[in-house]
Amino acid sequence: MSLSNSPAVAPLTLAPLTLAVVRHRMKAVTEEMVETMTRTCFSPILNQSQDFSAVILDSSFQTVSQAERVPIHMGAMPRAVRMMAKAFDGDLADGDVLMANDPYWGGSHLPDVTLAMPFFTDGEIRLWVALRAHQGDIGGLSAGGYSAAAREIWHEGLRIPPLKLVAGGTLRDDLLRLVAENSRKPDDLRGDLLAQLSAVRIGATRLAELFARYGRGEIAGAVEAILDGGEAVMRTLLAGCRAGVHRGLSHMEFADAPGGLLPIPVSLTIDGGRAVVDLTGCPDQVRAFINSPYANSCAAVMVAFLYFSGDEEGLNGGSARALDIRTRPGSLVDPVMPAPVGACTSSTACALIEAVLNALEGADPDRAIGSFARRFRFALAGATDDGTPFIWHHFLNKGGTGGNRDHDGWPNIGGLHNPGGTAAPSVERTEASHPLFVEEYALLPDSGGAGERRGGLGGRLVLRYDGREPAVLNASGEGVLVPPTGTQGGEAGPGHRYALLPPDGAARPIAVHDSGVRVEPGARILCLSAGGGGFGDPRRRPRALVERDVAYGYVSAEAARDVYGLGTDA
Amino acid sequence: MLARDMLIGVDVGGTFTDLVLADGSGGVSFVKSPSTPDDPSRGVVNALVQMAAERGESLERLLGQTRVFIHGTTVATNVLVQRNGARLGLITTRGFRDVLELREGARSNRYDLRAPAPDPLIPRPLRLEVTERVAADGTVLAPLDEAELGEAIATLRAAEVDAVVVSFLHAHKRPDHEAAVRAAIEGTGWRPFVSLGHEVLEREGEYDRLSTAAVNAYVGPALQDYLKRLVGQLKAAGIGVPLFVMQSNGGVLPIEEAGRRAYGAVTSGPAGGAMAGALFARTLGLPNLVTYDTGGTSTDVCVIKDGVPIERNRTDLADFRITAPAIEINPIGIGGGSVARIDASGILAVGPQSAGAVPGPACFGKSGTRATLTDANLVLGLISAETFLGGRMSLSVEAARSAVQADVAGPLGVSVEEAAWAVHILATAGITEGIRLATIRQGLDPRDFALMSFGGAGGLHADAVAQDLQIPTVVVPRMASVLSALGFLAADIRQDLQRFVSRPIRSMTAAELAILFDALEEEGRARLRASGVATDGIRVERSLECRYGRQVHGIPVRVGDSLDDQFDPAALERAFTETYRALYQHAHEGEAGILDVCRLSVYGALPKIDLPTQPAGPSDPAPAWRGRRSAYLGGFRELDVYWFDDLRHGMRISGPAIVESASTTILVGPGRVAAVDGIGNLLLNNG
Repeated sequence: MSLSNSPAVAPLTLAPLTLAVVRHRMKAVTEEMVETMTRTCFSPILNQSQDFSAVILDSSFQTVSQAERVPIHMGAMPRAVRMMAKAFDGDLADGDVLMANDPYWGGSHLPDVTLAMPFFTDGEIRLWVALRAHQGDIGGLSAGGYSAAAREIWHEGLRIPPLKLVAGGTLRDDLLRLVAENSRKPDDLRGDLLAQLSAVRIGATRLAELFARYGRGEIAGAVEAILDGGEAVMRTLLAGCRAGVHRGLSHMEFADAPGGLLPIPVSLTIDGGRAVVDLTGCPDQVRAFINSPYANSCAAVMVAFLYFSGDEEGLNGGSARALDIRTRPGSLVDPVMPAPVGACTSSTACALIEAVLNALEGADPDRAIGSFARRFRFALAGATDDGTPFIWHHFLNKGGTGGNRDHDGWPNIGGLHNPGGTAAPSVERTEASHPLFVEEYALLPDSGGAGERRGGLGGRLVLRYDGREPAVLNASGEGVLVPPTGTQGGEAGPGHRYALLPPDGAARPIAVHDSGVRVEPGARILCLSAGGGGFGDPRRRPRALVERDVAYGYVSAEAARDVYGLGTDA
Repeated sequence: MLARDMLIGVDVGGTFTDLVLADGSGGVSFVKSPSTPDDPSRGVVNALVQMAAERGESLERLLGQTRVFIHGTTVATNVLVQRNGARLGLITTRGFRDVLELREGARSNRYDLRAPAPDPLIPRPLRLEVTERVAADGTVLAPLDEAELGEAIATLRAAEVDAVVVSFLHAHKRPDHEAAVRAAIEGTGWRPFVSLGHEVLEREGEYDRLSTAAVNAYVGPALQDYLKRLVGQLKAAGIGVPLFVMQSNGGVLPIEEAGRRAYGAVTSGPAGGAMAGALFARTLGLPNLVTYDTGGTSTDVCVIKDGVPIERNRTDLADFRITAPAIEINPIGIGGGSVARIDASGILAVGPQSAGAVPGPACFGKSGTRATLTDANLVLGLISAETFLGGRMSLSVEAARSAVQADVAGPLGVSVEEAAWAVHILATAGITEGIRLATIRQGLDPRDFALMSFGGAGGLHADAVAQDLQIPTVVVPRMASVLSALGFLAADIRQDLQRFVSRPIRSMTAAELAILFDALEEEGRARLRASGVATDGIRVERSLECRYGRQVHGIPVRVGDSLDDQFDPAALERAFTETYRALYQHAHEGEAGILDVCRLSVYGALPKIDLPTQPAGPSDPAPAWRGRRSAYLGGFRELDVYWFDDLRHGMRISGPAIVESASTTILVGPGRVAAVDGIGNLLLNNG
């Protein structure tokens, strides 16, 4: 079937001109909010990573417009702002700005702090503007969060339930101080929260200009039509899918689970332009940081539909009306207090997106995409020759993406939660600023899942530790036991295979949640990253492409013969 | 003997070749001549012949009077867009042949997961590894293996590559091995185009160096061939001065060097427009100016601050990166050919899809049938079917109306005029928001700027854009249609040099910095001398690229002109802090700034164009009046129409009115005043 949707038509209750211009301007308002954040955020790393997103919500918390720099932020903020508003129901005034991060108050994980500002005209809330930013440090067991040792939410840092950071236009400096002093980097947190504040205020100022120009009635009509449009896009998408129940499954790696794997099953029921996404079969919450709060789980489902549709512009809060997402409180994807949740926006989000995409394959096989390499990161802590401590985070060699009906996957792009979003530092920078030496960094032959459209290749990275004293390696991630699966007859890529090669002695595999691994000077770390999953039967891959793959060294001659059937065609 | 006092700028575009000539007595004239895409040099000669004819003299005589000839070409750009460049081979460090394909693990679109991966400019079998290794501090860990090198060269030669890219790890610290490869290639008698990583970019970052060197080699041979052909034809026609080629950084290079540094020409077209904008900014006393150029498919926005276009050090195109200083061009997906449609949400959208020149807007009567911005403006009566492009192309109002009816008015249930007006306003909003973002991204407020519109499709929206952004003054230059070529004549020869440092500023001494900058300056001056520039015309600008230790990318920091503190580390650290504060509204006083790169630009002055001024005359614009036209601006109105070329200094027009020329149409909004200045520009403001 065709991947394009037939146009629906807006209702005629509103001047089409106002509608089109208001939509465009609201998009520009959210863009200006994130640019303001970029230009004013304090911690030097945040203005380069742009780990933040802005939204305009209507008075019932549906996303009208967004400028997201991080896919998983989208779809999580409506619930966060709804809970913030609920906490101050009947006690909100023009000029108030609310702040929260608590997963048990609608948040995702603690580093993601959201500021939300109600926009009033004539004494009533018409819209909300909100900006979420990933803060560098919010306290907790380990600097920067993501502590695999966390067993309860309090281990992960400061919980901020909804607060009025600004009351009637006056900044509560005492609250700001309280929050800032609970960070290892109080100045950064304070500066970044103030930048968030400028950004939401810019958003509100621009909305005021928009209301002055077009009037309350016209804008209310436009907001409704924009949301209806988002709903229409989703309904058209679903109406083009096979009706019925489609099951999807992915897994997470968790050592305490039987077989080391936690299943993530999804049951997707599509019926007449609506879909029920049932996550109630997911396992119980665990005493580890991989639980995903409800808002984050909903966001992951929305990201999956976004990838599935390929229509970044068309989907908005109205699209969510066509979806009914069901979870079971107390489960991995809707945990109750005090479950820790640190890895929810990366590891758990990837598994959830994968499971929903897996279910959607049944709904429309033409849109299927092979799975992506998962995130597998390690940090190496040690000291340089002059004794200065260093921590090096492994951002290189991310692994391949899945193939789809029309194209092969990409090499070296990595996880579904943020594919290709952050560039890795150069090999030269790595060597210049750490006692590390890169012996090889190259594509890994035969690592792409075989298929009519091949998965993108994983890579081979050989890193040598050249410090004088032993260093310590801590790993956290996914994708060793769970390789990127293929689709429509395509094959899986191999999972990540990381190993420590001591200067003398046997190789030691590195597990996804390894910690405290001693790395001797001269030891090598071998990182073979996963390739993406393939799409379709490899024997149907065009012969010219298989021959090209062999000539280019992407696929070995043996695999070309045995897996792709090159030269064996009758 | 004829005086050699003419300046000629020639800009080859996709459709027209524009030529601007400034004679020694303050006169400026121009011609537009059709481009000849199969061999653009023919179009250049045609334009020269046409200019000579208009001046009533022979081509030989015209060229004999030429003092400076500056050429801008899209050859390099087209080669990249069409992916029909040179066949490349790579020689690189063992273990690292896939750097180009690994792309630092990044991609620009994070949502369209089905998009195909770009093909690297160098296919894998032609990416060869040799044994050699330099450490991060520049020491040689493994010498270059001569035998392996010989084999690699032989392999690439046998594969009949046109160009060889050489990129070794840490070559910016020790270029010996890369240089040795060039020598070895030359030693074999083979003469491919050779592009060395450390020569295109002397700084850390193996992907940046390799990608830039690969782009250079990919477009270099085609650009060199073209320039050779052009020089041959011009020499045969009697030109006696060296040619210069416009660069993306707003400067020019002598023709041989332009061919070797082909990556520098990739975005040179819009750079010419920005240089013209800068010329007007200085001439008109409007040092802060935003220019926007709306063409057929898109709008390019440039921000000029204090009379100088804002630059960037890295250009990320779809499939590759060029790391070199270039004037920052902010593209917006709105142009005359932008398609208007009702999208999947049922809401009107304009762009970024474009009908371009082919199939073109419906009213062009080519194969296009979809409603575009140009169709909407024609339906509204804002552009004229008869005088569009000076009457060279007649437009079909009927085709425009039926396209707007079918694509927009019908689905929305409104009149054709209402639909067209909606498309027009939405395009204005698109340009407005694009300009707002381009300024705030630099930490600037659009209200502190003037606005300049050029390009055929921009003038109808300029006044509304300015009012929307609360920009007080709009400038529409009379020679808007040949502005890039005009901008060439405001350019200097420019050489950019840099040295990678990567140390805390406060750990350096003034003496170290002075030695560093002096070495760069000496090299820059030597390069300029090689171009035949007299040393008294040389200007030097120094800048740094600095960051905090926790950051990845640096920001450019201008170094003051006072020689006293130029090399004083404390003053430089202050300059970094202040630049950071201007961009981000705060700084980290206690934290050490890292100096990544010392940068030096050497400018060799060329004779510049003088914009001719007219004496002021009467304010009544009646002599330029061409009649009245009914136009729809949310309601039908009768608008006075004026011919731009007949407007004289001092004339004033009260809006609403239309000003037309052969290349553009300007809408003067209700309540606004358009006045003609001494150099013939139209200035729009509140009167």
